[in-house]
Amino acid sequence: MTIQETYKTRAKELLSSGRVKMVVGYKAGSTPDRRRPHFIRTPEEADRLILDSACIANLSGYLITEGLLSDEKSVGIFLKPDGVRSLNILAAESQLNIEQIVVLGFDVNNNEITALKGEKAEDFSTLIESLKEHVPQTPGNPLLERIEAMNAKERFAFWEAEFSRCIKCYACRQACPMCYCRRCIVDCNQPQWVNTSSHTLGNFEWNIVRAFHLSGRCVGCGNCDRACPVNIPLRLINAKMAHEVLGAFDHFAGMSQTQEPVLASFKKDDSETFIL
Amino acid sequence: MAKIGVFICHCGENIGAKIDCNKLAATVGEHPGVAVSVEYKYFCSDPGQESVKKAIRDNNLTGVVVAACSPRMHEATFRKACAEAGLNPYMCEIANIREQCSWVHTDVDMATQKAADITRSMVEKVKRNNKLQPIEVPVTRRALVIGGGIAGIQAALDIANAGQEVVLVEREPSLGGHMAQLSETFPTLDCSQCIMTPRMVEAAQHPKIRLLTYAEIVHVDGYIGNFKVKVKMKARYVDMDSCTGCGDCITKCPQKKIESEFDCSIGMRTAIYTPFAQSVPNKPVIDKANCTYFKNGKCKICMRSCQINAINFDMQDEFIDLEVGAIVVATGFQVQNNAVYGEYGYGKYPDVITGLQFERLASASGPTSGKILRPSDGKEPETIVFIQCAGSRDPSKGVRYCSKICCMYTAKHAMLYAHKVHDGKSHVFYMDIRAAGKGYDEFTRRAIEEDEASYVRGRVSKVWQKMNKLMVRGVDTLLGKPVVIAADMVVLATAMVSQPDAKEFAKTIGIGYDEYGFFNEAHLKLRPVESSTAGIFLAGACQSPKDIPDSVAQASASASKVLALFSKQKLEREPVVASNNESTCAGCWGCVLACPYNAIEKKDILDRSGKVIKRVASVNPGLCQGCGTCVTFCRSNSLDLAGFTEKQIFAEVMGL
Repeated sequence: MTIQETYKTRAKELLSSGRVKMVVGYKAGSTPDRRRPHFIRTPEEADRLILDSACIANLSGYLITEGLLSDEKSVGIFLKPDGVRSLNILAAESQLNIEQIVVLGFDVNNNEITALKGEKAEDFSTLIESLKEHVPQTPGNPLLERIEAMNAKERFAFWEAEFSRCIKCYACRQACPMCYCRRCIVDCNQPQWVNTSSHTLGNFEWNIVRAFHLSGRCVGCGNCDRACPVNIPLRLINAKMAHEVLGAFDHFAGMSQTQEPVLASFKKDDSETFIL
Repeated sequence: MAKIGVFICHCGENIGAKIDCNKLAATVGEHPGVAVSVEYKYFCSDPGQESVKKAIRDNNLTGVVVAACSPRMHEATFRKACAEAGLNPYMCEIANIREQCSWVHTDVDMATQKAADITRSMVEKVKRNNKLQPIEVPVTRRALVIGGGIAGIQAALDIANAGQEVVLVEREPSLGGHMAQLSETFPTLDCSQCIMTPRMVEAAQHPKIRLLTYAEIVHVDGYIGNFKVKVKMKARYVDMDSCTGCGDCITKCPQKKIESEFDCSIGMRTAIYTPFAQSVPNKPVIDKANCTYFKNGKCKICMRSCQINAINFDMQDEFIDLEVGAIVVATGFQVQNNAVYGEYGYGKYPDVITGLQFERLASASGPTSGKILRPSDGKEPETIVFIQCAGSRDPSKGVRYCSKICCMYTAKHAMLYAHKVHDGKSHVFYMDIRAAGKGYDEFTRRAIEEDEASYVRGRVSKVWQKMNKLMVRGVDTLLGKPVVIAADMVVLATAMVSQPDAKEFAKTIGIGYDEYGFFNEAHLKLRPVESSTAGIFLAGACQSPKDIPDSVAQASASASKVLALFSKQKLEREPVVASNNESTCAGCWGCVLACPYNAIEKKDILDRSGKVIKRVASVNPGLCQGCGTCVTFCRSNSLDLAGFTEKQIFAEVMGL
């Protein structure tokens, strides 16, 4: 049986036994290589489920849809390891009760899809642990390496050019599972900290604010990257912040549902190299 | 409609010399909303304040900006003046054009322009200020004194004698600290223990003092007037209530070769021990690391020797929660490890000792009963070389600062040696003799002139052993010649350093420390005994190297600060506190973790049927200290700080 068939059967079982009220998975998208989220409430709907190497979007953000979990019933969800990590962060930040979530875990590497064992977030902790251990020392991304090699002026010019395309559509925010605030800071207009027009200053403000709000929280799922209609390599900014946070505080986002947010926690042995 | 009064102070020449105040007043006067813009030589003077009050009354001002020195100096002065003129004091702001402008710039035109920017930015802020009301909080009239050395004891006694409760916490098994280890004290040569022990006993028996020895501070929460402290009572394995202090257990303990901390390793102690004969409380503890029973599971000889069954090997650490209104930190110092000076041979030659070890040798209660004897062979030394600044004033290996007491105690050591060994010869290598203090210079002169200590100005480069002697090679810089002295003993005037865990401790209780681990005072000159955290005071050598008179004086000063705090039933607090917008709060609780004062709680918002529809953060204004950490953390901008609201800050920035 293919992985797709196995998981289809599991989804059906979960629904028919009443263990979950809904399974969030993938179905065919607008083009053959695209998948879109599929919200399955009956075993029959599970037939349209697709699970293959094109299923790369992180679905965890759908779990915090207003009211979805307030009836305390369980929901099943297809998640890659990055999705499990963001699930852990959402739980750590009190956005959901992780006991309500049944994980259907899988992974995609080099266009190969593999099944992952376990169904609770904590069943994947060893896997996430090993992900932390195997974070590459070098960026591993040719563009990021190029950016790292630039001096401050060149780097600023690079991002200025990239951000100049930003149209402030906030698709990155909508796609990100971590952007769950009911009112985003950019929507505040008393005072209006972030300029709403798509000019250099406002574009920088927005993207830098987002980078800080995601430092120590981004799991690098790439939802923002893929959502961006003007192809700004947003993931690189967050990858850089994640790298800094790991180096300075040994913090790898989404290790567990009890992990403290790195920017809000203070430990006596925190490095103080940044205090002048 | 805003009617803001701007008052530009010359501060004599401090501001006036670099800023054209007339021009500044004219420029700012044109800013929208500014009703009055005037300059004056000294607004902080009585006539200056009167003119501010008059301007408020005459013009019905809605806000005041005083462009002057730092708000740390006169914010309170001008807010009070505003209140007297009937304006809410929080409608007054200070534009700092001295520290942040005139003092740091030389070009008058540009400095004036910058001062105008700073002032206008403050005008924009004041337009958005709210009329705040002060918050009242109760004061717990009980003080915690941390450290039972002379400073801690003095502070505790002073507070207790004024009728307030004190909890005195000491981490060693006995009160006493370093002073109890000393032989005789400069400049009067009275026996240290003879003047120390009555104080220890007085503290232990005082009805207002609760003494907790062998105890450590684990956690401190809360704020001035309302601290919550968790204390760990380390297991003594001896029941404090029933033990009579007879000492039978100590005599019987088979472990007799443990280096005594109190005797600086030149004396030995047992595994069940009291640090010294006059220990307060005079009840032993079991040193778990060295006890035969804890190591091998067999022995319990002390238990059998105890006639009242006071020994209990099952005892566990206990935790006590205290509520106190003020804290005095008197955690003391340590001496630097001289092993860093390989050339002096400390640790290699047994007869090279530290000043504190010499104190134990010279002390009547010490391991040699006050006889000066060499640790190697027990012989009386005929010649002793004292090396001053062994660690102090040495940026390469030791510490940069002067340890302050070494010149004095070295002179004392030379003197004690002369009194005990009449034909002994002492040589003192020194950089300078720093003997500032009442009777101090007379004291060092006495050591040189009457007790014939030979002072050699210069440093020692090497100490090595030759036959039975320690050869000391140094230089006499006054003669410009190298000298070699054959000595029987070498005493190093070791640097005073902070406690090894001082930084850790400072973080636990929430006070600042310097690069050396000494605790920071709020202001070196004007607030020397207050830490930067309100309600926490400093006493003794935990702040900087100090001698006994200074430690005692600082302890009494701290006590007077505590008593002033306890003189009121309630404490009036600034209403600069955070508040949360519950409708936009996302309930991530980052602020709950970020808050250093535990002032943010989780709050449930219920619907009519009592069902939780939302959980949000809620700030307790009694606990909030207005630091703003939560505001900077909040991603949805739901938290805001009164007096520094987002609107005010934004207007301030935009006003530039």
